[in-house]
Amino acid sequence: MAAVGKTHATRWAIVNVVVVLYALFPVWWIAALSFKDPSTLTDGSYIPTDWTLENYKGIFETSEFTRALINSIGIALIATLIAVVLGTMAAYAVARLRFPGKQLLIGMSLLIAMFPPISLVSPLFNIERIIGIFDTWPGLIIPYMTFSLPLAIYTLSAFFREIPWDLEKAAKVDGATAAQAFRLVIVPLAAPGVFTTAILVFIFCWNDFLFAISLTSTESARTVPAAIAFFTGSSQFQQPTGSIAAAAVVITIPIIVFVLLFQRRIVAGLTSGAVKG
Amino acid sequence: MTDRPPRGNALSEGARQERRLGWLLCAPAVIVMLAVTAYPIGYAVYLSLQRYDLRFPGRAEFVGLDNYGAVLSSPFWWDAFWVTLFITGVSVAIELVLGMGLALVMHRTLFWRGTIRTAVLIPYGIVTVVAAFSWQYAWTPDLGYLAELLPEGDAPLTEQWPALWLIVLAEVWKTTPFMALLLLAGLALVPDETLKAAMVDGATAWQRFVRIMLPLMKPAILVALLFRTLDAFRIFDNIYILTAGAQDTGSVSILGYDNLFTALNLGIGSAISVLIFICVGIIAFTFVKLFGAAAPGAEVKR
Amino acid sequence: MRAVVALTLLAGTLAACGDDGDSGGRPTINWYNFPEDSGALQKAADRCSQASGGRYRIVYNKLPRAADGQRQQMVRRLAAEDDSLDILGLDVTWAAEFAEAGWIREWTGEMKRQAMEGTLRVPIQTATWKGKLYAVPYNTNTQLLWYRKDLVPDPPKTWAEMLDKARELARQRKPHYVEIQGAQYEGLTVWFNTLINSAGGSILNASATEPSLGAPAVRAASIMRELAKSPAADPSLPNQMEDANRLAMEAGVAAFQLNYPFVYPSMKANNPQLFKNFAWAPYPRVDEDRPARPTIGGIDLAVSAYSRHPDLAFEAALCLRNRENQLTAALEGGLPPTLRALYDEPAFQKEYPFHREVLAALQSASVRPRTPAYQNVSIAVSHTLSPPSEIDPESSVDTIRDQIDKALRSEGVIP
Repeated sequence: MAAVGKTHATRWAIVNVVVVLYALFPVWWIAALSFKDPSTLTDGSYIPTDWTLENYKGIFETSEFTRALINSIGIALIATLIAVVLGTMAAYAVARLRFPGKQLLIGMSLLIAMFPPISLVSPLFNIERIIGIFDTWPGLIIPYMTFSLPLAIYTLSAFFREIPWDLEKAAKVDGATAAQAFRLVIVPLAAPGVFTTAILVFIFCWNDFLFAISLTSTESARTVPAAIAFFTGSSQFQQPTGSIAAAAVVITIPIIVFVLLFQRRIVAGLTSGAVKG
Repeated sequence: MTDRPPRGNALSEGARQERRLGWLLCAPAVIVMLAVTAYPIGYAVYLSLQRYDLRFPGRAEFVGLDNYGAVLSSPFWWDAFWVTLFITGVSVAIELVLGMGLALVMHRTLFWRGTIRTAVLIPYGIVTVVAAFSWQYAWTPDLGYLAELLPEGDAPLTEQWPALWLIVLAEVWKTTPFMALLLLAGLALVPDETLKAAMVDGATAWQRFVRIMLPLMKPAILVALLFRTLDAFRIFDNIYILTAGAQDTGSVSILGYDNLFTALNLGIGSAISVLIFICVGIIAFTFVKLFGAAAPGAEVKR
Repeated sequence: MRAVVALTLLAGTLAACGDDGDSGGRPTINWYNFPEDSGALQKAADRCSQASGGRYRIVYNKLPRAADGQRQQMVRRLAAEDDSLDILGLDVTWAAEFAEAGWIREWTGEMKRQAMEGTLRVPIQTATWKGKLYAVPYNTNTQLLWYRKDLVPDPPKTWAEMLDKARELARQRKPHYVEIQGAQYEGLTVWFNTLINSAGGSILNASATEPSLGAPAVRAASIMRELAKSPAADPSLPNQMEDANRLAMEAGVAAFQLNYPFVYPSMKANNPQLFKNFAWAPYPRVDEDRPARPTIGGIDLAVSAYSRHPDLAFEAALCLRNRENQLTAALEGGLPPTLRALYDEPAFQKEYPFHREVLAALQSASVRPRTPAYQNVSIAVSHTLSPPSEIDPESSVDTIRDQIDKALRSEGVIP
């Protein structure tokens, strides 16, 4: 690779800084609110003048928030896993195989993605109460899975269509077994789509509020966005701004970890050498 | 495996196996989606045909399309509709351009790739309600840092047009990463060789972008655009927190929420939901038609 | 990776096996109420569980902080005839709605007598519908005028006076805002209700079958518009709720504030300097010779119609709001009590130096319209009067009348 010119590098550096600032300056505002002492909340300063960790101590004082964190992590992970697996299977079929009813499947999943969820929570609540999964992990995992399947199927099938499937044949011609061909050629090419889908589905489950607040009633299944609605200030009129900000910061950390782990896989596909030589 | 069934009505064994495999692979997803949503969606449509106030359960009765008539002739619905259309159109347009830009940066930046990609995704990962709340705080005079940048006494959230633009801003900031991520993955599918060849042939960056990258990214763009528009049309959280829908900034979802949960008028609320669904359906249909062959489910090429 | 998945599944199954239902033979009474951090409510639940002598156990379940969220949760489950709710902490405006829908039980006989004994008159009104008692008042709340002694040595007695003083302060370039809740929400309806009642009228007629409004309504709307158009208006008025008013006052930009007593301990903690000049006075009058009638808030305890142990629930509710527990709630939780006797209690008076004004306000207070369609009525009012600067008194009142007519018949789309 030719040596990169210095102006080229500086240009990219500036672009990088701009992008990071754009993405993070409102995030810093939330973090700043979480570090501010309640008496300085009103001073409108972007950087806290009076730093305190009280808000963080406050949210971890009882087990409620910790419980909510565990619920969120578990429910989101399981729902993401199942949605991605089911979505991959269906997307593979849609992208590669011919069978009647394909358009119907696509249309139906889009229909589900389009219907306003506000009308669906009450009937869902009724069903779950009758079956007995109200206020349990499956009670949230199943709706999350269902409502992220359309996005999963669409995203994955869009990417699967672009994979040059002939490579698999070529690899077999070159002497690889079917399993090897699949593992070494197809899987890396499918990875970008799968990991993209996984991230999007995870964030959907992680941040959902409507289902979380409607389908739970105690800490056994309440996730963090719903738990935030139960935070109290020093009186019923006071917004617990500091605690809410602290909670927001804490629950963004798993997202950061999740994304950091998976972001490389999104582009790893084509540059991993499958196409070359 | 033959490409075409032989003459006559029988399918070849290969084609039949392909069908079976196709159905088998789709079955779990289909079963889950049907089992969970068939009753709720059916029930919602059923409710929309009734005059049903939850507080007077004994007075429920079938009224056919009366609820739809009431909603469509109500000025509240149309006000909310135009506001929603404006917000959707503007925010999706901005997000597409911004998202593409971010995708390019995430893909081609020389260093700090991991950091950039993670940083760009963080806005999308923050709980929407909290982000909206932080924007509201930031724009309130005397309390927020952004309000300080405005002339004294200006409270943008209390007037319709400034508030609408701030809602668009909050929405764009929050969900552009969704677009950017999908576009990034789409970018990753553009083969480097083709681009290098074009560069050798003397194509400018712009030409490479428009003639090579965009067409190859069409499927990704479609998915991103489609789902983002569907979600944008149903915007709720940002408006609810920033203005509570005051000063005519309410969207159709807020209207539905008010009628369903506050007034407990299940008939009208469900009718509003079905109407939202129809609007969104029209949008989706238009997109799929526009993108034609790039849509998932289009004929498989061999 | 596989280990992670296995662990999460395991954790999930374990977590799903929650603990619920009656434990060890003792019936559980589930009390659903707004969340409260000071521990006062949990103490009450514990005390009453003990006081039952082993006959039942009260579990305090939290509801979301916002009133709307509380109502949604309860309505959803009551409409589904969920039998796991026993005692419900209802906002004072919900009794009529819940009673008409058949979701709460009537209080009769001995229970009713005990519920009403020694309780302030106006809170009992909020728990009554069609002449029957449907809940027992738990705590109440009312607004006072809070002002800065250093800017205004004598508090104004009427709205006109207050606005004049604010204008004067504005001319002198001193802090001059009059903080009040002007956002498009319930608080705006409360403001309007207070003004119209203080002017001698009301939103609905006595039998709650049609709007009353009239000249007092036009007066009320004019006052709101006058404030919004005067220099006394905070620029964020159309977006402000109680907490924003508090923050503005603590930030020092306001001279007056119409708000609930929670602002007092908050100012003490957050701005001790300003606290030295922080004073209170009765709610301003509309007419000089007619006492103001501030609208009260608060919580009433009702028993669910689907409760499995209604008799125990009635008993438990009475215990939860007895003298001892209301005093604790007042001292630790900042919740003004509904029992008259407590206002003479020295410990209470010490904690609430403004107790006299609060009691006086409670005794001449007004309530919001009592009708099952209250939510619709409230939205009709708050949407028409928002933003306050665009009120045209005559036509706004006409619009409200039209919309309330429709709301009472449960007709039409609400905004």
